[in-house]
Formats: sequence, C-alpha cells, structure tokens
Amino acid sequence: MKEDLLDIVCCPLDKSELELEAIRRDEGEILEGRLVCTECSEEYPIEDGIPNLLPPDMREESAA
Amino acid sequence: MAVAEMSDRADAGDETTVYQPAEDSRLLAEAAVERVGDDERVLEVGTGSGYVAGRVAAETDAAVVASDLNPHACRAVRETARSEGVALPVARGNLTHPFRAGAFDRVLFNPPYLPYDPDAARDDWMERALTGGETGREVIEAFLDDVGRVLAPEGRVLLLVSTLTDIEAVAAYAADRRLAATTAREESFPFERLAALSITPEH
Repeated sequence: MKEDLLDIVCCPLDKSELELEAIRRDEGEILEGRLVCTECSEEYPIEDGIPNLLPPDMREESAA
Repeated sequence: MAVAEMSDRADAGDETTVYQPAEDSRLLAEAAVERVGDDERVLEVGTGSGYVAGRVAAETDAAVVASDLNPHACRAVRETARSEGVALPVARGNLTHPFRAGAFDRVLFNPPYLPYDPDAARDDWMERALTGGETGREVIEAFLDDVGRVLAPEGRVLLLVSTLTDIEAVAAYAADRRLAATTAREESFPFERLAALSITPEH
C-alpha cells in the first residue's frame, strides 16, 4: 500500500484514524508494517503490501 | 453468474478460490465506466478478481480502490494490477466498514446474491463469493446498512442485482434506509435478468 491510502481508511471498529508503522518499504510502497487505531489501539497488519482491515475476529484465512 | 468461466487476467490457481468475471461483472463494469467521472474517487467492495475496479481504473482517470474479504482475491488483484501497470490500491476488509465517512464519489458492488442451497453448501471462499444467505440478500442488506456513511455529498452507488435476488425487495430495503434506487442498465439472460442499480441518498 501507498501512504496516501491512510486518507480514506479508518478503524473498522470505531472509525477513528489509523497511524502507520512501516517495517519494510519498497518503491514508495509499504510492504510490511501495521496500521494502529489512534483511539482503541487495535493493530491491523500490512502483509505483502496489503493492509488487513478486518476486525480481529474475522481475520482467519479460511472462509467458514 | 457463470462460475467456471476462465479469466485471462487472474492466475489459473485462483479459479477455485476467487470469483472470475462473468456477465454480471461485465454489466457492472460497463455501467461504471460509462458513468464515473475522471475526478471521482471510486471504491469497489467485494472486488473478487478485480475485473470491474481494474476496468474503471484503466478506462477512466478516476482514483479507484479495491477491497475484498477474501485474502486470495486481494493478492490476485494486487498482482494483476502490478503486472498490467494499473494503479489500483487493494485493502482487505468487510464491505465499506474500514473506509472513512464521506470518502467516495462512487461505490461499486457486485454482491454474492444466490439464495443459499444446503445441498450445494461447501463452506469455502467460492461459496462466500456466490451466496447471500437464505434470501440471497443478506450481504446486500449489510452493504446498504453502511454504504451511505462513506458516500461524499452527491455520491452514488452502483449495485448489481438479479431477479434471483428479488430486485424490488432490494429497492424496498434501500428505501427504508433513505436510499433511492433506479435502474442504470439491465440485461436479460436465460435464467435471470441482471440490473445495475444506481443508488443515491435521499436528502
């Protein structure tokens, strides 16, 4: 993800702004890191350039 | 909704986990490309293979973002967009829940809309991409519950619906949430009629 995505995303739980903690960047993109809610402190991982903005109870890889 | 249709855009390995573009995707993409303005900010939720969002990103100057619940879909969309040089940010999320209030001029959704069939139940990502609960409308209703929040003033929704889902029931549910639906484009197929509904908040 690019940093400007922060302008349009929010915490799915309380809709507050998210703060970026980048771990690995490449060509202007954040490949690994996390987005942290400025209100409830919930952390949303960024893996392979894709932020996972699902609430913690929906994060499983499986469909069921 | 042709499930097995192959796409030249996604990896063959995704065809069992990610819904591939079909008649409904094309109808929604055409309605979107025709209407989206070059200065708009567009969100597609439940993007699947990314076909609709990808066409809008490639054929207009609008800023498009794609989102899906399915991690396989998110990865496939990101890879396809990168390999084709299309600017298409991807976020994994549930419907419009992780997006800011008033952020989008247009929200696109080709929802899972087939009524649940216990005999065909499979509990996998493809089922999640196809079925909308017992009525076929559960995901559509959850979408309509929150979409008004993320629309900018004058913002609009393009929602793909089928006669299998009961288009009038969808419009009535939207009306209860002060959303007005009109048919933007429709097309008949052997077992269903598909319509792209243009939905606007009533002020």
